[in-house]
Amino acid sequence: METASATTTVTVLLPQALATRVGDQLRAQVSGATLRDIIAALDEQRPGLRFSLCLETGELRPFVNVYVNGTHVRYLQWLDTPLPPSAVVHILPSVAGG
Amino acid sequence: MSSATTFAPGTHVLLVGTKRGLFILTSRDRVEWSCQEQVFPNFRVFNAVLDQRGAPRLYAAANGDFFGSYIRYSDDFGQTWQDAERGIQFPEESGLSLANIWTIVPGRASEPETVYCGVDPASLWVSRDRGVTWEQNAALANHPTREHWNPGAGGLCLHTIAPDYSNPQRMWIGISAVGCMRTDDGGETWAFANKNTRAGFQPDIYPEYGQCIHRFVQHPTQPDTLYQQNHCGIYKTTNGGEDWTDIQRDMPSEFGFPIALDKHHPDTVFVIVEGEGRHNVTDQFTVYRTRDGGEQWEALSAGLPAGKGVRLGVLRHGMTADEQDPCGVYVGTNTGQLFATNDGGDSWKLVADFLPSIYSVTATVIQ
Repeated sequence: METASATTTVTVLLPQALATRVGDQLRAQVSGATLRDIIAALDEQRPGLRFSLCLETGELRPFVNVYVNGTHVRYLQWLDTPLPPSAVVHILPSVAGG
Repeated sequence: MSSATTFAPGTHVLLVGTKRGLFILTSRDRVEWSCQEQVFPNFRVFNAVLDQRGAPRLYAAANGDFFGSYIRYSDDFGQTWQDAERGIQFPEESGLSLANIWTIVPGRASEPETVYCGVDPASLWVSRDRGVTWEQNAALANHPTREHWNPGAGGLCLHTIAPDYSNPQRMWIGISAVGCMRTDDGGETWAFANKNTRAGFQPDIYPEYGQCIHRFVQHPTQPDTLYQQNHCGIYKTTNGGEDWTDIQRDMPSEFGFPIALDKHHPDTVFVIVEGEGRHNVTDQFTVYRTRDGGEQWEALSAGLPAGKGVRLGVLRHGMTADEQDPCGVYVGTNTGQLFATNDGGDSWKLVADFLPSIYSVTATVIQ
């Protein structure tokens, strides 16, 4: 995928399960160079959101999945994944069920 | 939810924490109970409590499977909820992450703004502003034995907190599988209080610490007396935990989770013990009662189910007593039944069924 190390503005799509935590604003525009930056920016906009997405030790929670332009960040560089210009970042809980 | 934003004085309220949310049950007479709608259906609610030391505030431990665990509070009996402004979050440099919130305990009458909370990984948190912000107790976090603490099956959880009503500097806490600890200086230091309680799963069965304590309650008029249900026995202390006496007697199992006490007859204590399968030992689901501080136990089963297909487990916060006389006792099972007695245990009735697995029950009367 295309990569970039400079700050860019991306679209973040949050899951319904976080609706009450973000005032039903499940779509956000934030800027940063990496996914880590994006989560920090989200936390600025919606204090406490970082705790919902990441453990206190910093890494993503085990059942939080993040996709950058459709690719799971586990196949990229996790929180250090660089973000291409105008990327779409999907945040989803793991599937629960059978 | 459909409940009123307040309940009339005299209303009995049960807060039932389950694997899938919190249920609020109410009754005017402790005979007929009305179940309100479910709150937080996507959270495991390990504990909830209604604090009436000031304006009523309901606290809940909402443990999430995906997006973290939170202390939440409600000032309208569950219709709307707030997260703590500065909730329970470990500092990044600690290397710890919050697993589950286990217990929320309102402080003493003399400290109406104070609330205590115990979590996994084992730590004690204190709020001095009614749950809005929380601070970790540093002495326990940095206890010199901490690296040797081991979890029980439920995790390394601080599940029981007893702030001494007679002494603002003294408090007991229970951690599985570490044991009972006590502070005599307002949380500046903590010492173990496990003498004569067994850890039958260790080579040294009477260690200083490492016991799998399950739950304890403080006597309401004799502050040095506490009763404890342990993985390995039932115990009583009459000296604030300096040592404990085994009061298991002829109970059919040494293993059980919950313990509750009749406030108006505090030598009356209720326990439930379980066998290897972590359910009733025989085909009869049974609550046990002592009325003489643990000298003798009697089996209570009137109205409780029996049969080859009856296998009920009750978790550590799954039984509670109200403060009425005669005492009401409420037992929630891990298969979603809620049993109640309004005559001190002589007779029981199923008051709710088909709930998710029940983790906790607390009982309050609206003032």
